Amino acid sequence: MSTTTSVIDRLRARVGVDGPAVTATVEAGHLKRFVDAIGDPNPRWRQEVPPTFLVALAPVSLHLAEAEEYGKGWLNGGNRFEYFAPVMVGDQITARGRVADVYEKEGSSGNLLFIIFETDYTNQKGDLVARLRGTAIRR
Amino acid sequence: MSVQVGQELPELVKHPTTRQLVQYAGAQGDFYEIHYDQAYAKSVALPGVILHGLLKAAFLGQLVTDWLGDRGRLSTFEVSYRGVDMPGHPYRCRGRITSVDGANVGLEVWGEDENGKRTTVGTATVEMSS
Repeated sequence: MSTTTSVIDRLRARVGVDGPAVTATVEAGHLKRFVDAIGDPNPRWRQEVPPTFLVALAPVSLHLAEAEEYGKGWLNGGNRFEYFAPVMVGDQITARGRVADVYEKEGSSGNLLFIIFETDYTNQKGDLVARLRGTAIRR
Repeated sequence: MSVQVGQELPELVKHPTTRQLVQYAGAQGDFYEIHYDQAYAKSVALPGVILHGLLKAAFLGQLVTDWLGDRGRLSTFEVSYRGVDMPGHPYRCRGRITSVDGANVGLEVWGEDENGKRTTVGTATVEMSS
């Protein structure tokens, strides 16, 4: 139990702290591989990115090695996207992620650790184009 | 086309395969073994390899953008994963309009497994063009 508590405390200490920014260019080839993988044939996605593409440009969550001391596996609890401007092929997107919250909950088959991540995506002009909030769960 | 509360979106049925999961893992860059390694998935108490939550989100995103077309823009899109889905089983994406407030339209979306269980639930808001 003390190990569990200290893992949570260490993760809580990172709440609100930005991780390293990741910058990537939206490449037509990558976009094509992504839309082929999701099976969406809409020709619009030859130039513009579909609603979930930004997760493929930068890691969805910061790699929190210490969180893996808790439980035995990761689950994705949910994702929330807010969109402010379209993202097109050639755009240079910078993702800045942080831990927004950490809490433990009692599940039907043992305790679960919830880690809430937030990522802001800005383009080459410095405009905020999207924001993602995700819930990662250790079980 | 008028937009009214209660109206259902044309449904979208996907037929995910293990091949698609590997394709998606590569395209997203998510190489967590539960999406392609059967033995690993079972070792963490899953019934076998499962769909990426974000792949199911992409399916529901397509449901919304196929319906919306060029009539407006997506403002928010949110999904919660309530259950696991496995390749080799159809995944049915559905949605309906829950609110209309001027140009702002609220939607409820969900993904069902072949037993009709809603394994993914979510919402979207769109701003219709005038």
